[in-house]
Amino acid sequence: MPSLKDIRRRITSVKKTQQITRAMRMVAAAKLRRAQTAIESARPYADRMRETLREVAASGVGSEQPLLQAREHVKHVDVIVVTSDRGLCGAFNTNVLKRAQADIAAREADAPALSIVPVGRKSAESFRRRRAGQVVQTFTGIARVEYAHAVEIARYVTDRFLSGASDEVLLIHSEFVSTMTQRPRCSRILPMVPEDDPAAPAAGEPAKLPYKIEPDAESLLRVLAPKALEVEIYRALLDNQAGEHAARMTSMESATRNTEEMISALTLQYNRARQAAITKELVEIVSGAEAL
Amino acid sequence: MALQLTIVTPEGPRYEGPVDSVVVPGTEGDFGVLPGHERFLAPIRIGELEVRSGNDPSCRWAAVGGGFADVNGERVVLLVDTCEFAADIDEARAERARARAEQELEHKKTARADQFNFRVEEAALQRAVIRIQVSKKKGMAA
Repeated sequence: MPSLKDIRRRITSVKKTQQITRAMRMVAAAKLRRAQTAIESARPYADRMRETLREVAASGVGSEQPLLQAREHVKHVDVIVVTSDRGLCGAFNTNVLKRAQADIAAREADAPALSIVPVGRKSAESFRRRRAGQVVQTFTGIARVEYAHAVEIARYVTDRFLSGASDEVLLIHSEFVSTMTQRPRCSRILPMVPEDDPAAPAAGEPAKLPYKIEPDAESLLRVLAPKALEVEIYRALLDNQAGEHAARMTSMESATRNTEEMISALTLQYNRARQAAITKELVEIVSGAEAL
Repeated sequence: MALQLTIVTPEGPRYEGPVDSVVVPGTEGDFGVLPGHERFLAPIRIGELEVRSGNDPSCRWAAVGGGFADVNGERVVLLVDTCEFAADIDEARAERARARAEQELEHKKTARADQFNFRVEEAALQRAVIRIQVSKKKGMAA
């Protein structure tokens, strides 16, 4: 039976933890709101970009743009795995990493060599521990996602792709579905060939472009294709950011709830112990008086 | 008939509204767009964008980053990395950015550092110079 003093100390300690979790929840909520706005603002740009690229690529003019060309023999695959830098956000990072492990294992069964490009400290730490030899470059310390971060990552994987160091680039990240749900997702970002696109025209009859391109389609694609890749990565970073804050918010909320439960249980215990002490003292006094 | 201009950047929409005409810095040279232009796509370089409209003189000049333009009759959509209107540009900041970029470039040139960073700095310098140019036109707006 812990003493009164012990229980009191315990309650204070839990209360302090509660202050921390509550503050973290509020900070995460504020950051989540900002992250959601960032996603909202990026959407029109990304949608337009994707639409235009689809139109141009579907017309068959992209034949000479190396970023749009699928390679016959995929010998080397680069995998970008995006997580957050910080923990204390529930299973958020674990879910992505689990998915990544599974996807990587599946790809390795097909035998291509594989390199990993972790983005975010949690991902970097995990892969440095498990697959240190395969980590080629890490991107960490992104406090707040900016377009420039996406540009940097895009440039790195593009250079590797163009130099022949990799034949395919996969991107694994958390998709931000809602505050309650973040779903890990794996997509191929290079080469930029629609994997299963029902809207794609049948081979052999390229769709007519509804417009003129200046100076010509090839040079437009030279600008457009890398940009589309940047946008894809930017989107993943934003999703990851929003998901992280959402996950932290929900997990801190339940942590706060748990501390409340714990405090009430401890308070009950404290009062019982106090009552017992009083009763004991009374009995002692009474029996002392009787003895006289 | 007015031309509907939309400028979007990855950070969000920057402008939306009817204008009389725009002059866009294309990679192959500046081009003007008036209402009823034929549909076409063109890449944009880092440069100055001129927006002409009778009712909104504050938005005459803007510094834009690279991207591309989608022109479609009565509608112009500019997808650019950055877009800042003259009124929003902090000239002192742009001046500092230019000084820093110049210094970096000088340093990279002597250190014979990698081409990659050189190009990044070069673009940064270009953007800073354009920003300064554009912000000097603030007064001309009215």
